[in-house]
Amino acid sequence: MTISDKSAVKTIGSRIWVFFGSLKLTLFVLFSLAAFSVVGTVIQQNQPTEFYSGEYGKWAPLILRIGLEDMYHAWWFSTLLLLLILNIIVCTIDRFPPKWKTTLESKADVDARFIKNLLNKHTLILQDKPAFVRERILNILRKKRYKVKEASGAEGMSIYAWKGRTGRFGSDVVHVSLLLILCGVIIGSITGFKDFGAFYEGEVITVPVTELRLGIDRSWHGIPLPKIERQEKASDIQLRLDKFWIDYYESGQIKQYNSVLTLSDSGREIIKGRQIWVNAPLSYKGITFYQSSYGTAYDRVKQAEFLLKRAKTHKTITPPFTALWNTPYDIPGTDYRIKVVGFVSDFAFDPATSTVFPKSAEHNNPAINVEVYKAGKLVSRPWLFYNYADLFAAIPDSDYELVFDSYKGILYTGLSINKDPGTNVVWIGSALMVVGFFMAFFIFHKRIWVNVRKGSLETEVNIGGMINKNKFVFERELSEIVDEIKSGSSGGIKQ
Amino acid sequence: MKVIMSLLFFDMAFWFYLATMILYFGYWIFRKEWLGQAATVIAIISTFAISMMLVFRTKESGHAPFSNLYESMAFFVWITSIAYLIMEFKYKIKVVGAFVMSIAFIAMVATSQLPYRFQDIQPLNPALQSIWFELHVFSAFIGYSGFGLAFGMALMYLIKARFEERKTSNFLIDRFPASAMLDELSYKSVAWGFIFFTLGALILGAVWANKAWGTYWSWDPKETWSLITWFVYAAYLHARITRGWRGKKAAYVAVFGFLSTIFLYWGVSFVLPGLHAYASQ
Repeated sequence: MTISDKSAVKTIGSRIWVFFGSLKLTLFVLFSLAAFSVVGTVIQQNQPTEFYSGEYGKWAPLILRIGLEDMYHAWWFSTLLLLLILNIIVCTIDRFPPKWKTTLESKADVDARFIKNLLNKHTLILQDKPAFVRERILNILRKKRYKVKEASGAEGMSIYAWKGRTGRFGSDVVHVSLLLILCGVIIGSITGFKDFGAFYEGEVITVPVTELRLGIDRSWHGIPLPKIERQEKASDIQLRLDKFWIDYYESGQIKQYNSVLTLSDSGREIIKGRQIWVNAPLSYKGITFYQSSYGTAYDRVKQAEFLLKRAKTHKTITPPFTALWNTPYDIPGTDYRIKVVGFVSDFAFDPATSTVFPKSAEHNNPAINVEVYKAGKLVSRPWLFYNYADLFAAIPDSDYELVFDSYKGILYTGLSINKDPGTNVVWIGSALMVVGFFMAFFIFHKRIWVNVRKGSLETEVNIGGMINKNKFVFERELSEIVDEIKSGSSGGIKQ
Repeated sequence: MKVIMSLLFFDMAFWFYLATMILYFGYWIFRKEWLGQAATVIAIISTFAISMMLVFRTKESGHAPFSNLYESMAFFVWITSIAYLIMEFKYKIKVVGAFVMSIAFIAMVATSQLPYRFQDIQPLNPALQSIWFELHVFSAFIGYSGFGLAFGMALMYLIKARFEERKTSNFLIDRFPASAMLDELSYKSVAWGFIFFTLGALILGAVWANKAWGTYWSWDPKETWSLITWFVYAAYLHARITRGWRGKKAAYVAVFGFLSTIFLYWGVSFVLPGLHAYASQ
């Protein structure tokens, strides 16, 4: 490689570096992220394919091709985020070291000319002795909580005063906090899991855990690439739903959903009878259980009420009687016994497998499955319909007719089970971000230089300064300092 | 539930804000000092009236006064007024009042035009019963107000900068503070707004969502629009220090940011579906 080649590489390299570190890129990425996110709120996300062809017609293939239907996970959206991260990192590497240096540097030995070149400056002619004037200026600055450093050179005595240096690093704190939040998000997406389940009172479930393994992915041109494989396994943690109920307002609106949970780990009861509700979840070993929804069971009931009629006359011969779920019940005055063994909220039948199943979780067509015994022998097993009484004969070869009159459903609770170890990192990042904002917006780096020198008859004071932002406030503060210097003098003339 | 007193104070505040706006315009146009003083006094009375409205609303409903669009709009007007009055006392720039109080009055008009069901008090659904929800909304609205003030001053900046560039004089525009001052104050408002917006809309919103639904971020339209707005104001802060972007372009971004805020606040609730759609129910 010749020298010119090397410098060409270097130029390209430094151009790329400059590109990644530029504020123009920041603006481009921020506006792009904003614009694409707008698209993501207009085009509904994560719908089935048919939805898009129905809604957008000939544009649907394009939408699906680009990934606009799941755009927050599309490769180009991630690329934009990656650009933002690179931009932040390169900017920080570029700007932080020189900023650190200039912020910490404290050049106290300055002459009057240096001060006169500053944007904010004042020149005072005072009658007092230089040493006296210097002492008073030091006191005023210290009283205003400036840190000071003195020097004396050929041009008399000079002072450097500063405060609010941390304000300079507010933006860096914000940038780091943003990276931290993104780290938390990534940790969560790799190691966390989210599960949802419907539970009945008394039911026990085993909580899953995620196991990570390093595997090899060859899906990209057969090239082996490292890949993190996730596997959900049963853990030693078990959860039991003791109770679920709903509180209502007087107006009938729902006030709160409540579940009482008992949690055991490796067979030992750890948490007993803890009540959770919306906004008050239960956490154990990083796994959190949230009250998320509720519903009425579609495949079981608490109890059902029946009537017994004469088949021919349809005349009721017994008062309504109640049979509990899966509990034998002797019908009074007969030698029949029934047992409720099945329920579907929305009856459907699959002829291929001869099975009954609920078409939906809605209670559109409730049907109950009953076993009928005569003298202890099973004689029939009919499905009875709530909406269509006496559709089928329930008890064959008899004068009786069994009618499914009403039922009491079982409420289930919908629990979300989450584990996200990245959440705490996100919160730490968030807190840091707010701190960074306060540093950046409200702590101003103020620097003041003063030169006190002896004129022919009097003392000449040059004072000037800089601030990194908020210059109107600083102008006022500097004038106040100047006024104080003058007012303490035994007779001054301002020039 | 009885909602008499809060509605009464709202109606009072409505007319006071109209008077405030007219007085600030009067001060701006006719340059009479007494008009300016009257404007400030009526602005304080308006703020008091809307404060009383919020106090009675809290008493009548038994929850923090920002759980639906009607309440939160009044709350927005309240914070905006207080922020403006602080600024007026600190920087003595009363002409800005004509712009800011116009925003406040427009907000009052929009609130009064909401369907009647919003004025009625609804008990809180389970998800809204959380201190995190209250902190979330409280802080987010301070953010909205900061953005609103910045919007007003960015508009003034754009007008003023145009006249300064051409070195033309106009008896109305000459009354504006210098463009450098408007830029600085607009920036300050964004800074305050951005902190509270980030804390309220994004961070506390995420904390609340995590408590209520077990996930701190779900790309729900309201969340996404908060992020869009955040991106726009982040761009504003970077534009202000970018050569070729500072000044006018940055001011346009601040204007654009507030339009995004308005959509985030009103548009999403009515146009886009999602978790926050309860605002329109």
